[in-house]
Amino acid sequence: MQRKKSTAALAAGAAILSLTLAACGGSAGSANTSSSGGTSTSGSAGSGDAAAVKEITFWGWAPGYDKAVEAFNSSQSAIKVNYEEISPGAKGGYEKMLNSVKANQGTCLAQVGYETLTSFAAQGALEDVSAYAQSSESEFAPGAWNSVKIGDAVYGAPVDQGPMALFYNKKVFEQYGISVPKTWAEYEQAGKTLKEKSSGKVSLTSSYLNYDFAGFNWQASAPWFGVEGDSWKVSISSDATNKVSAYWDGLVKDGVISKAPMWDQSWYTGLSDGTIATHVGAVWIAGILKGDAKGGSGDWAVAPMPQWNAGDTAVGNVGGSATAVLKGCSDPEAAWTFAHWMSTDKEAFAGLVDSAALYPAATALLDLPALSKGDPYFGGQNIFDVFKEASSEVVTGWTWGPNMPETVKTLDDQLGKAWSGNQTFEEATKATQEKTVSDLKAQGLSVTE
Amino acid sequence: MTTPTLRTSGGARRRAARSAWLFLLPFALLFLLMYLVPLGFAVVQSLFKLQRSGLGLSAPTLSFDPGFNYGRLLGDADFIASLGRVVLFGVVQVPIMLGLALFLALLIDSRSAKLKGFYRLAAFLPYAVPGVISAVMWSFLYSPVTSPVNNALQEAFGFTLPFFSDSWVLWSVANIVTWGWTGYNMLIIYSSLQTVPTEVIEAARLDGASSWRIAWSIKIPMVRPALILTTIFSIIGSAQLYNEPAVLQPLSGGSITKSFTPLMSAQAQAAAQNYPYAAAQAVVIAVLVGVLSITFFKITNRGDK
Repeated sequence: MQRKKSTAALAAGAAILSLTLAACGGSAGSANTSSSGGTSTSGSAGSGDAAAVKEITFWGWAPGYDKAVEAFNSSQSAIKVNYEEISPGAKGGYEKMLNSVKANQGTCLAQVGYETLTSFAAQGALEDVSAYAQSSESEFAPGAWNSVKIGDAVYGAPVDQGPMALFYNKKVFEQYGISVPKTWAEYEQAGKTLKEKSSGKVSLTSSYLNYDFAGFNWQASAPWFGVEGDSWKVSISSDATNKVSAYWDGLVKDGVISKAPMWDQSWYTGLSDGTIATHVGAVWIAGILKGDAKGGSGDWAVAPMPQWNAGDTAVGNVGGSATAVLKGCSDPEAAWTFAHWMSTDKEAFAGLVDSAALYPAATALLDLPALSKGDPYFGGQNIFDVFKEASSEVVTGWTWGPNMPETVKTLDDQLGKAWSGNQTFEEATKATQEKTVSDLKAQGLSVTE
Repeated sequence: MTTPTLRTSGGARRRAARSAWLFLLPFALLFLLMYLVPLGFAVVQSLFKLQRSGLGLSAPTLSFDPGFNYGRLLGDADFIASLGRVVLFGVVQVPIMLGLALFLALLIDSRSAKLKGFYRLAAFLPYAVPGVISAVMWSFLYSPVTSPVNNALQEAFGFTLPFFSDSWVLWSVANIVTWGWTGYNMLIIYSSLQTVPTEVIEAARLDGASSWRIAWSIKIPMVRPALILTTIFSIIGSAQLYNEPAVLQPLSGGSITKSFTPLMSAQAQAAAQNYPYAAAQAVVIAVLVGVLSITFFKITNRGDK
């Protein structure tokens, strides 16, 4: 009996200890010594100066935002912006922002991707600043401006945009005697030729998930969401998306898709050593190539996005973000003033082009010197000539859904199976459609299909 | 006179009680703040329904509807499947891992073992690597492109192992967990083996028992408490499976979904800002783990009276 009791106590005590440690996210070790919670210093500390100075907090992660904030703070004295670098949105940054709004911390500005902005608005996490912002509409590319507004409400300043193009390894193309594909049919043919002539060593491209895959549908005028009256229209699976799906099914069957998943080390290696010959992606892919595929320097070039019909000029968009004004901001006007300044100031944005390869949403900035010169990585080509053209051809009518984090998680599960050939892309989009509709309905949103 | 003695002993007892509470206070306080309060909060949160309407362009509201999230859980095929998956995982992986750990512990404990310190350390070393890091390491070994294992197999025999196929993927994860935790469990069992009185073993030996016989009939029964403890740890660990599948997910080609394990499922709901539903999932996991652990404990203790 005695022994039983002590075993019980031991087991129970140990179980509790392990649970407590697990709850702290900690590893094993001695008990209750470490308890370093989040020491957040988001509030305004000693604002000893005149009460006239308005302090606002700005959360973002793009390299160079800190410099832009410094420049703004030293250029005037009415507003003081406190910049705090946080984890990228998809890596926990968005959750941090939403939690901050929920906890009423008064954070004013946040870097929010266009694809997530609608979901933020649908959480009631954004402040409508149309009263100050409406007059600035004409300064921005229409697609970008469209991305920061829902109905008449404007939720922030567009910073950059992500028009798409074809990145291709020119050296590899020349080596195997392939000309630059202008249509999707030619693109598929190029993949087959590459595979054949390199005896399977060179893949045409790698797999695309979530927003990168969305870009193909965007180009094909196959929007995933829309607003009809007071309902969300979900069309992730439609005749229009099926066309795109069938095309990529074909490429998977051809065996021209690399098994290296995008963003994996093997993907960077493939882009670097020429075993992945192309990537159809947004302008910011240039920065990824230059930063993480250094071995491909001098080999890569950029051409317009392949078209469904020869002679068309339709372009999709991937990414781009806004400086959004969060709910609970103490001074939305000051917040908008800074957000607008950062998106439109020539010098500040030149810095962002250099450090983060951002492509401006403000049309007056498309001629920045930094965007008008050849780049040795791309064999001296001025790739922004292609993107400037592309940015005016981005297809309109794309709307993001009200809960993209949820939609995208299902989508990626499904797309993964399609890229590995275990189901078709049509099945993948159909499953995502069904799951998205049932999830939205479960929360009481009004949905039509 | 007896009164003074009584009084002093009463006072001493009261003083002892007071200092016992004082010593307990730091733990009790942390336990309350870091464990009971969040647990209670999760339970309360799970009773609310997240409600939006129309286009949902205003903040969602919470309404009290105790059955809503739990009702939804019953119909959530993905969540139910994830529970089934970790149960299967636990039923297969835990016995293998603990069997291995026990075997290694007995080997090191045996009289003829050499280099005990080295083997003990070598077996324990994988546990010293943080779980996420070891998962990243294994992801290189499993990767469809860079896997040296598959490259070597391809070169030598012309085939590769489908680490991420639907039928393999759970066992690829189990392999990582086994690699990481066998040494840890071995150490607990081994230290328990150290407490087996030498005279008992000597007596057995004098009676002519072989080493196998000693291990089976004396050592294993005597480390029973340690085996029960490690099993309960492992049941909890299986239910909380997260790091390894989450790290492998991007490489898995869709075979590891966002709701592969119950914790991943709850995390996905939290990321989608549906905290009440995530809380309901967490509560269900906690209750199931509690019930499982207690049941196991009761069963193993029945013959112990």
